[in-house]
Amino acid sequence: MPELRESLNQDQLRAVLAAAGASGSWDWDIVGERLYVDYRFAELYALPGDDLSAGFETSAFFRAIHPEDRPRIRIAVAGMLAGAALFSKEFRVISPSGAVLWMHGRGQSHLDEDDQPVRFTGLLVDVTERKRTEERLRIAQSAGGVGTFEYSDGFATVSVSSEFCRLLGLHPADRLPVRTINAVLCEGEPLLIPEGSQAAPPDSLGGEFQVCRGEDRERRWIARRGEVLRDADGSGYRLLGVIYDVTYAKLQEAALRDLNDTLEHRVAMEVAERRQAEEALRQAQKMEAVGQLTGGIAHDFNNLLTIIMGSVDMAIRRTESSADPRIRRALDNAMKGAERAAALTHRLLAFSRRQPLDPRAVNVPELLAGMSDLLLRTITEAIAITVDASDEIWTIEADPHQLENALLNLAVNARDAMPEGGALRITARNRSLSDTAAASPTDPGGEIPAGDYVAIDVVDTGTGMDETTLGQVFDPFFTTKEVGKGTGLGLSMVYGFAKQSGGGIQIASRPGAGTCVSLYLPRSIAEAEQSSDQLIASAEMGSPSETILVVEDDDDVRAYTVGALRDLGYGVIEAHDGASALGMLARHEQPIRLLMTDVVMPRMSGSELAFLARERQAGLAVLFTSGYTRDAIMHGGRLDEGVELLPKPFTMKNLASKVRELLDR
Amino acid sequence: MSVSVMIVDDSKLARIVAAKALGQLQPDWQKVEAGSAAQALELLETEKVDVALVDFNMSEKNGLELAAELRAMRPDMPIAIITANIQDEIISQAREVGAAFIAKPVTSEALSGFVSGAALKLRTAKA
Amino acid sequence: MTPEQVELSELERDALTEIVNIGVSRAASSLRKMIGDQVLLSVPSIEVVSQSRAARLISEREVVDLVAVRQDFSGPFSGRALLIFPETNSLELVRAVTGGELSAEEVLEMEHEALAETGNVILNSCLATMANMLRRSLTMTIPEVLRGNGAMLFEVDERGGNGGLVLFLYIDFAVRMRDIRGYIAMLMDIPSLATLKELLDEFIAGVVGDDA
Repeated sequence: MPELRESLNQDQLRAVLAAAGASGSWDWDIVGERLYVDYRFAELYALPGDDLSAGFETSAFFRAIHPEDRPRIRIAVAGMLAGAALFSKEFRVISPSGAVLWMHGRGQSHLDEDDQPVRFTGLLVDVTERKRTEERLRIAQSAGGVGTFEYSDGFATVSVSSEFCRLLGLHPADRLPVRTINAVLCEGEPLLIPEGSQAAPPDSLGGEFQVCRGEDRERRWIARRGEVLRDADGSGYRLLGVIYDVTYAKLQEAALRDLNDTLEHRVAMEVAERRQAEEALRQAQKMEAVGQLTGGIAHDFNNLLTIIMGSVDMAIRRTESSADPRIRRALDNAMKGAERAAALTHRLLAFSRRQPLDPRAVNVPELLAGMSDLLLRTITEAIAITVDASDEIWTIEADPHQLENALLNLAVNARDAMPEGGALRITARNRSLSDTAAASPTDPGGEIPAGDYVAIDVVDTGTGMDETTLGQVFDPFFTTKEVGKGTGLGLSMVYGFAKQSGGGIQIASRPGAGTCVSLYLPRSIAEAEQSSDQLIASAEMGSPSETILVVEDDDDVRAYTVGALRDLGYGVIEAHDGASALGMLARHEQPIRLLMTDVVMPRMSGSELAFLARERQAGLAVLFTSGYTRDAIMHGGRLDEGVELLPKPFTMKNLASKVRELLDR
Repeated sequence: MSVSVMIVDDSKLARIVAAKALGQLQPDWQKVEAGSAAQALELLETEKVDVALVDFNMSEKNGLELAAELRAMRPDMPIAIITANIQDEIISQAREVGAAFIAKPVTSEALSGFVSGAALKLRTAKA
Repeated sequence: MTPEQVELSELERDALTEIVNIGVSRAASSLRKMIGDQVLLSVPSIEVVSQSRAARLISEREVVDLVAVRQDFSGPFSGRALLIFPETNSLELVRAVTGGELSAEEVLEMEHEALAETGNVILNSCLATMANMLRRSLTMTIPEVLRGNGAMLFEVDERGGNGGLVLFLYIDFAVRMRDIRGYIAMLMDIPSLATLKELLDEFIAGVVGDDA
């Protein structure tokens, strides 16, 4: 009112308005149809400022407003003039300098006794900066997925941002009813916004809520943060806050919690697994120790047997036919006993896997017939054994001792699968595979390349195995037997042998229906060696010009070997270790045709000696003798090219033919 | 002699409010209440009624119709239409039947103009 | 013919908001006079939605037991206005408008009637103001007090509405000192909406003049 303005000092008014951040104030006299403004308003609107108390035409109110905003503001003012209580609008004003400023106009109507509006007063506040900030904030909020809300207690609706609606899967709106918002909460969740008569204001706005989004019913986690603003008089409060999606973090958290919850169980599993591995390792170590031990025993034993057999051999040959036949019989018995002892050490070596493969042409029916004795002793009487191999069976290429060993292993497994008794059948048949037999889940034996094979089936009527067990049977250390009872090496050794021999293995089994293991061994192009005794042909004799260097650390074995070779007519020089052997090689005038050396010797091994000797004398033939062999001369279980091995114990006949064969190459 | 005012409204609360506002202005005036137009017409037979405050929004017969009938019977009686329905149309209809218009909710301020006018009219009529 | 789609322009929405504002301001002023306490109002929210969506919105919004005073209006545009508050607020409101002069028994006795009168005053002043602003007159029915859930209160299909659009208006009010809160809602059907749009355009033309 003019009176008010006159009573207030202009400077004082200015100070008050400036302090309030106002850019101008107005007082619209509705009845008198005049607009009174302060000097700031006049300046902003470029109204003549010389006599403000006279007022202006009311249309002046709209003059500086941006044309695009003018209709909107006219409508709002019309509402005020007709009795609306509050005016709160943002609009652009074009200043005299041409700058566009955002103004927030806030006003109220003053009613007379009859509720008729008589005055409309208000303030203009420059919000240009705020508008920019708001824009930045809006971008930040939508980019950051942050939705805002403001709630005055007691109201049924909440003022929200569009991002707020989006986060909850609701139709975008400026205001949402409290119940609409709370309706997206999953059952049992606390209220996102307090409802109705829930009088007490929340202590804080922190919290996380599980919601079932409005549009797609997707379950999400929403975090709420913000402030509780209490009215000055303490009667009410406002909630000003934000929400954002924390589903990902929640899922991570849940996964972590789950991880923690199952930790104990997983540790127990790990420990059990580890214990099992340790047990397996212990078993392996035991096997290794037993292997070492048996290997060592076998080595010494073979040396002794070489002497015994050599000596008996020599005695037999020196015994005249006219002599007492009882002497001859006794010597034959001694020889047989020694041979059996040799077979036993051989088996010990196979058991300790220190047996090199010595593939030969093998007559399978003959081999199986030879094993029947052993099988009968190994397998209990409750189990009926059938061996079926026709004479049509092809000769195969395999190490006969290892094959025996493999079959024995399979037979023992079959026996153990039939604790209540049953039937064990071993059959051999010819098989031509035109295609590679592929591996299958039920047959873990793996591929067998196309070709001609003799398949030896070992079939039992025992407990059988399920698929899981079947998948593991070839794993080293896998055993269905109690720890300590089986080596866990049986089937893996059989498998390794079959593969090594160029064949393969197939296994078929079902729980309760027995097991059939088929060993595939490749057909040999050569005919089987005659195992029957033959007289040493004269061609196998040597001449004194053929000098052989014998290196052997065991004096008795060396004496026997040297004697035998001399008997065969060879020129022989001898050494007890590698170093002296090399010295002789250098000093000897006549060329040495063959180096025959023990493999295992102190200081310098046989293979080292062979290597050095061949450096000095290229092409020198080398024959190793050994009670057992090590990797020094074996690669992948087979002997190196150009290296021959004469396993101990050897008979004179074996010695003669092997030496002759080498020298004649 | 005291003045008697008839308050016609189907809402008891509205009658209480109107009576209270009236009591603040003229404590001595007698008040008779009617809950419908029909009741008002009956009352008119038995009671002395000097002034009528009539609610517009009533079932069966609305306040304007009743006011028109009252006006026909008592051309000089001060009548006011009371309603929250402040449509210009209603106000002009009230004027047509020679009734004052008072917006609900009734306050003593809103009533004061009509009441002082009525008091003056009654005094001059007697005089 | 019923238009399939009626959309309000931004200016028309502004005008409608303003007109509702005026009506509600008047209603708030009436309420203030009745109970003698400050009445707080929110900015009206106005949505033009399909009837099915309105039904869904209502059922979403209203789950608890409510008390409502309903008044239908007809004229150039027709619809329904409601004054709604939670049932728990009802006696407090009656106590407020009767000004503490009645005993508890009397309050209970008068509850229904007092609610009807309160609704009558508030809704009438709101609707009448709107009618005046648009220079048309409306006929209002006698107020009716209803109790129930939201969907029941609105009964959007009652007048054979065929899934067209409705105008949904929503304004909060609260009387803090008295712990009374509620809202005023209005529903208008499609033919009304088309007429309303015309009336709004008239109003805008009158107010804005050459600036439109």
